[in-house]
Amino acid sequence: MVLLLPLIVPLMVAAMVLLFRDARRATAVALAGGCVEVALLANLVFQVYQRSTIAVGQYLRADALTSFFLVGLGFVFLVTLLYSVTYLRHVPPGRFSSPRWFYCLMFLFVFAMLAAYLAQNLGLLWIMMEATTLASALLVGFYNTDGAVEAGWKYLVVCTVGIAFALFGTIALYLAAVRSGVPSEAALDWTVLMNAGPALGRVSSLVKLGFVFVAVGYGTKVGFVPMHSWLPDAHAEAPSPISAMLSAALLNCAMYALLRYDAISVRVLGPGFSHTMLLIFGGLSLVGASLLMIVQRDLKRLLAYSSVEHMGMIAVGIGIGGPLGLYGALLHTLNHSAAKALLFFAAGRVRESYGTLELDRINGMARTLRWTSAFLVVGVLAIVGLPPFSLFVSEFAILTAAFHQEQHLIVVSVLLALVIGFGALIYQLQRMLAGEPAEVHKSRISVPEIAAMAACAALVLILGLHLPGALVHMIQRAMDVVNWR
Amino acid sequence: MRIINFAASQAISSSAVLIFLTLLLLAASRRMSNCISLFAAQSAVIAAQVFATAYAHKSVAALMVGIMVVLIKVVAIPYALFQLVKRLHTSRDVKASIAPAGSVFITAALIFISYSAVQSYAKDLNVARDPLAAAVAIIMSGCFLMTSRNKALMQILGLLILENGIFMAALTTTFGMPLVIEIGIVFDLVMGVFLMGIFMFRIRETFNDLDVSKLRKLRG
Repeated sequence: MVLLLPLIVPLMVAAMVLLFRDARRATAVALAGGCVEVALLANLVFQVYQRSTIAVGQYLRADALTSFFLVGLGFVFLVTLLYSVTYLRHVPPGRFSSPRWFYCLMFLFVFAMLAAYLAQNLGLLWIMMEATTLASALLVGFYNTDGAVEAGWKYLVVCTVGIAFALFGTIALYLAAVRSGVPSEAALDWTVLMNAGPALGRVSSLVKLGFVFVAVGYGTKVGFVPMHSWLPDAHAEAPSPISAMLSAALLNCAMYALLRYDAISVRVLGPGFSHTMLLIFGGLSLVGASLLMIVQRDLKRLLAYSSVEHMGMIAVGIGIGGPLGLYGALLHTLNHSAAKALLFFAAGRVRESYGTLELDRINGMARTLRWTSAFLVVGVLAIVGLPPFSLFVSEFAILTAAFHQEQHLIVVSVLLALVIGFGALIYQLQRMLAGEPAEVHKSRISVPEIAAMAACAALVLILGLHLPGALVHMIQRAMDVVNWR
Repeated sequence: MRIINFAASQAISSSAVLIFLTLLLLAASRRMSNCISLFAAQSAVIAAQVFATAYAHKSVAALMVGIMVVLIKVVAIPYALFQLVKRLHTSRDVKASIAPAGSVFITAALIFISYSAVQSYAKDLNVARDPLAAAVAIIMSGCFLMTSRNKALMQILGLLILENGIFMAALTTTFGMPLVIEIGIVFDLVMGVFLMGIFMFRIRETFNDLDVSKLRKLRG
């Protein structure tokens, strides 16, 4: 029940919210449903914390790794709902662009991600990853402008093709398991695969083939360079709450899938193969995305490329491995979620007030949008990795691990990317804040918006100053799951 | 009885030839409706293969998968695509960016490459080489069709063909995945086609065309 309720509730809310044509009522239902859902998630995380693993049947399972990612998902979902309350009043009504459809699709999106986290079966994981694309594609095209339609189409096609490769990789792994004597009904169960680990070594070529395809497939969804083409478009054209969900929840979800396969591959082949692939993709993403950040002319595209950069950072952390590298990578997923949600919320406010996201036309924010500017400054300082914000802690852990392993090429490229990203973001930030204020459309910032942004800002600050013992314990247990101890 | 057994075992390897035929015809055809029919034919060949496998292994699960493939990939999806072509009132051309002769040549090359790619795996795994090569060839030519045709509908079709290839790869190497997973994958596929249909209408509304080469506002 602990495991099933959080899956049932979003489906029920998604159906219920469609009954309310009135925007206010739909919002109230969604908010109430969201609070129930987050409470259920918190309960699930707490139960896992106390009892270790919870499993239902063959297909659903929550362990420490799952519950760590659920913390991030629950947090992002709650603040996004809070932010959406007032954000949606500006959306012009259309056939599918009504608040009830927005909330319906958002709950389906959350359901798909949640089910992907809770899947014990790699086939189910794949089905749910594809479902996340399907649920969010209409949300990306929500505004129905030509840009939004193009971005939605591109997102749908690119991610579906990418994920199809992941299916091929999954089949290769399934084949390897079946050929090593695992019964075919259990051969997609990742706990079985982890246990069978070394026995799969006899068909190592298949496991390698499988991991390559999975890395490309789910890597498309994570947004690794060079498969990132959908990501900036989708993030820039989607409504800001959805950009926040994509960047802060969906990318982590795809990274989680990759982490599960990586763990299996390490069990079978040792760390050499899959970790090297992650290092290559991570390094490419870091350097590629940071160079592309320099030339961006649109605030949300800039933030999207920053997401690619940070996903590269996480991949490097996993690829370096060892206790410190993996610890930093896991912590970084949570930190990046909070900081990036904050930034996209602030970007949504900028778009509301200036009517544009073009960096050249945003001036004098410090005088006109005080609250938003303050949050934007916090967000940018956090995302570039300055202390006392928490991204500094996780990036420092990853870099320390890389130094310890004398991976000099990786260290240099990470530092280079961080410096370039730092320059691009700070330069654009000061241009936006300073100068004569342009004509702005006055829209007062609302309390829910302030609350959502303040929650994110507080999280990055608090985690930067002091990591709670419970969280550290959770991450350590999640690492034990990855290392299968 | 003996003849049926023989037919079932031969169906799996000889169907590869039919698959190659559909791929080459797909590369050559310029009309949308032909491409949809060819996709249905290709799915039918694969369904026949599933039935042959089901018969050979006396597997009820495989039989159900076969029925599902017939209902969805041979009947429902091609029907929906024909309806889309009709309702969208668009030109019937696939808007190929490569001439048919070139496309056929490239597809032939892809078939050749897929044979050499699966050579060592087929030997290691002790599975028939032809169907595995056919599966890989379907996957590659699906990708090729998606990238070389500008009509948005062809991207859906390319994706479906790609999925056919993955399905066939699973079928020839492991006799298919567990039934529940297979159903989930097909469900995702149907939803994906449905959503792409919605986007198709939106693309036509906003761009007055279904040519994806017009979608080039977002760059960099």
